Amino acid sequence: MSTPIDLSTLDAPRIRAAIAAGEFTAREAAQAGLERIEALDGAVHAFNQVTPDLAFAAADRIDALVAGGAGADELPPLAGVPVAFKDNMNLIGTNTTCSSRILENYQSVYDCTAVARMLDAGAVPLGKLNMDEFAFGSSTENSAFGPTHNPWDTDRVPGGSSGGSAAAVSAGMAAITLGSDTGGSIRQPGALCGVVAMKPTYGRVSRYGCVAFASSLDQIGPFSKTVEETALALNAICGKDSMDATSVTRPAEDFTEGLNDGVKGMRIAIVRDMLEMEGVAPEVKASTLAMAEKYAAMGAEVGEVDLPSAQYGLSAYYIIGPAEASSNLARFDGIRYGHRVKDAEDVIDLYMRSRAEGFGPESIRRIMLGTYALSAGYYDAYYGQAQKARTIIIRDFERAFADYDVLLTPTTPTTAFKIGEKSADPLSMYLSDIYTIPVNLAGICGLSIPVGLGADSGLPIGLQLMGTHFAESTILRAARALEADLKFDTTPPVVRNLGA
Amino acid sequence: MSKDRLLEVLERWEPVIGLEIHTELTSTRTKMFCGCEVAFGGEPNTRVCPVCLGMPGALPVPNQYAIEQTVLAGLATECTIAPHSLFHRKQYFYPDMPKDYQISQYDQPFCEDGQILVEVDGGGVAQRLDVADGTGVTPAEDGSYTARIGITRIHLEEDTGKMVHVGGSEGRLAGATKSLVDFNRAGTPLIELVSEPDIRTPEEARRFAQKLRLIWLSLGISDCSMEEGSMRVDGNISLRKRGTVEFGVKAEVKNMNSFKSLHDALVYEILRQAELLDSGGTVVQETRHWDVGAKRTSALRSKEAAHDYRYFPEPDMTPFEFSEEFIDGIRQRLPELPDAKKIRFMATWGLPVHDATVLTSDLEMAEFFEAAVTIGGAERAKPIANLMLNDLAAHLNAAGISVTASKVVPAMVDELVALVEEGTISGKQAKDVFTEMAETGDAPGAIVEIRGLKQVSDTGAIEAVVDRIIAENPDKVEGYRSGRTGLMGFFVGQVMREMGGQANPAVVNEVLGRRLSS
Repeated sequence: MSTPIDLSTLDAPRIRAAIAAGEFTAREAAQAGLERIEALDGAVHAFNQVTPDLAFAAADRIDALVAGGAGADELPPLAGVPVAFKDNMNLIGTNTTCSSRILENYQSVYDCTAVARMLDAGAVPLGKLNMDEFAFGSSTENSAFGPTHNPWDTDRVPGGSSGGSAAAVSAGMAAITLGSDTGGSIRQPGALCGVVAMKPTYGRVSRYGCVAFASSLDQIGPFSKTVEETALALNAICGKDSMDATSVTRPAEDFTEGLNDGVKGMRIAIVRDMLEMEGVAPEVKASTLAMAEKYAAMGAEVGEVDLPSAQYGLSAYYIIGPAEASSNLARFDGIRYGHRVKDAEDVIDLYMRSRAEGFGPESIRRIMLGTYALSAGYYDAYYGQAQKARTIIIRDFERAFADYDVLLTPTTPTTAFKIGEKSADPLSMYLSDIYTIPVNLAGICGLSIPVGLGADSGLPIGLQLMGTHFAESTILRAARALEADLKFDTTPPVVRNLGA
Repeated sequence: MSKDRLLEVLERWEPVIGLEIHTELTSTRTKMFCGCEVAFGGEPNTRVCPVCLGMPGALPVPNQYAIEQTVLAGLATECTIAPHSLFHRKQYFYPDMPKDYQISQYDQPFCEDGQILVEVDGGGVAQRLDVADGTGVTPAEDGSYTARIGITRIHLEEDTGKMVHVGGSEGRLAGATKSLVDFNRAGTPLIELVSEPDIRTPEEARRFAQKLRLIWLSLGISDCSMEEGSMRVDGNISLRKRGTVEFGVKAEVKNMNSFKSLHDALVYEILRQAELLDSGGTVVQETRHWDVGAKRTSALRSKEAAHDYRYFPEPDMTPFEFSEEFIDGIRQRLPELPDAKKIRFMATWGLPVHDATVLTSDLEMAEFFEAAVTIGGAERAKPIANLMLNDLAAHLNAAGISVTASKVVPAMVDELVALVEEGTISGKQAKDVFTEMAETGDAPGAIVEIRGLKQVSDTGAIEAVVDRIIAENPDKVEGYRSGRTGLMGFFVGQVMREMGGQANPAVVNEVLGRRLSS
């Protein structure tokens, strides 16, 4: 039954090249992806929805190009590459549920810009990926449709909120996926699942069509097994969009250019005070220090900086994020679409019960937090203060980037934790984003790259590389240098156990 | 009835009135934050898209032209344009608001601190008891006055959709079994102007709103149709004892859908509040609804009373920085405003203030007048103005049409004035000619020709008739000559009747005077 194509051993450029060379068709590649989903997603549950019709239609367009004589140079850059999207991104022909009961039956009426750009680049959409409800969470346990399991240990969480996006790539169910990152929702699951995961600079990628969590923090970004694929995905999705007033106009960039130029002369610093924070696992701390040494050995100028304000990031984030979310989620009111109670007595009753039934506990918690933070008399003490903290964090980063090109921290304080381990304690769950949140608050770019398995846990550890605004090329180059040096095997046990 | 009562109440109580006027920028082709067309009515929910329906993931992109129109409105009302401004989200749940927040402006609106001048004449003067001492009030010799009304701010926001309630009476919520929402209007650019509480009488309020409408029409930013709701006026009104400074408790009055409603609702509120206060009661701070049929205001359920809108800066957009160059560029687009036009009509065409005020209070009439005097010259300005303010205005009023919809064009008015001026027809004949030309659209010269209306100024012909009348009425001649000079009217009437009304009255008078005294 199985086709000879093993997507987990093929990256996007090789898939495209093979299709161009006639080794296999895009339809066969799509079929291989769908079969991998069939085989593994029962255990992993990365997908909320699988879309064979959309996949085959896109694949057939590529195959038609090949049949029409298009060679390797004429095919679009992601031709035939199986991809999938976090379920907060609109795609006509799919439901966009945000893993919430309130949008369970919501059918997209338009395409998210980033999704459309991936498809324009020739990618083949296999489906929509599980997430924490409305991206509220760090474990994907807050999905109304059940948790996603980490392919490295299915008793453990994949991280979140883009847990489905990370797990799908890790398990070879798609070569590239898109997620969204508000406080670490791309990088943290990327680290926990042992894949490359990037949050671009705020404004790089249009947010149009991605259901908003916190508008001033949200950014779409890619997951992949290799740095090069992440660069290719950025090539596809970056750029000004007239539908998003916060997207920025920049000169066109090819993020694959200079990817292999190495780090000689690059100024790289460990963020010392963040590394010394409480709650960091010794194996994680040791790994970060070891990576800094590797960079020094590769010719980078390695130093140390402090980001003293970063410790306020979590508090500021848990004001700003919920405040904006409470506003962004108001529209889910049961009037125009989404869950609506049948027997409402009046409009207030309709609002209150539709929302109470439709939203899960974490969504309700964040809506209440945010509503409170914006209330008359509390605004200055909470939202106003949080914005001030944000300004101070931005200044700290500016100071650090005056001296360094790349800043290093662990992506997460620990490796993947057990399903259920933290779900009763929101605060400890919130702490797993302690390293990633300041990047969103400052609007800069950050990337997580797998750097090995923990000496104690045996699970993937991620290193976070942070660059200043629009310095994606720099951190991609640094990440690529490490990737080439480490040759980390991204294949998780759940794939190895397939006996392929 | 209520007018006398009002004057009596105003002796003791001084109303303090501020208006909030919403105007849709109907001149923008597209909505405030999306590309949907701006228009009135139409099949429900046909001018909508993911953005103005608040679909998940959709984002607002500000309409640059609407922002420029708002700045233009600010400059026309002498506002300061903020160099730094932004949008806020105003949050509350209502089915006509797709996102359950309205993108509006809060503490940093585009325009602040302006003013407009409001002329009040006629009956309104009596209501303003302190014309001479009132701050910012300039009295004129004829008893009219000009009041300076401050503008607190003008901000830009998006309009909501429209609710339609089915099953009850007259589309009201009470008794309805079903509520429908039409989002065609949702997202239409809307400016909100807030006046200072500088208004003291219902008449001033009406004049203020009319003047504002005239300015907006001059700018071309909106069609300002109160009927279609593209201009909506709400009022805040309180009373304070004459001579005191402290404001009383105010009520907000909504649903005043015409200038007359605005005036009448405020009169009603003044009387209602005075009655409460006079009887030792207190005014409750609340929103009241003007019922134009019942001619009364009534309290709306106070569900919206203590609303916390949880304003915060709109994170989907970056703040706005307006440079001096940008603001000056908009200033270049300012057309001639009504006050300047009035002064020019007086200076260039020699019109008295009343004529200039009335003619410039209607853009189309002003344009009509200018076209007519451009043909006829400045010396005909006054008779042209007279004809427009009397015959033409009466005709338009009776027909219920605007001047551009009538068959009368500027050249016809000038020609008609010229016919009278040359003595071809009398002023009385001119009225008949006007009526006919307004009906048919025929040129006045042609009407005079066809109807044989030419005035007889030939002295010989008139003398012949005068002599016959004198001969036929010896007793009346006797009477006149013995001092009953009032009989002159009898003779003039006889002559005119004899000549079918076509005799030149001046000549008839002259001949009669000569013959009777000889």
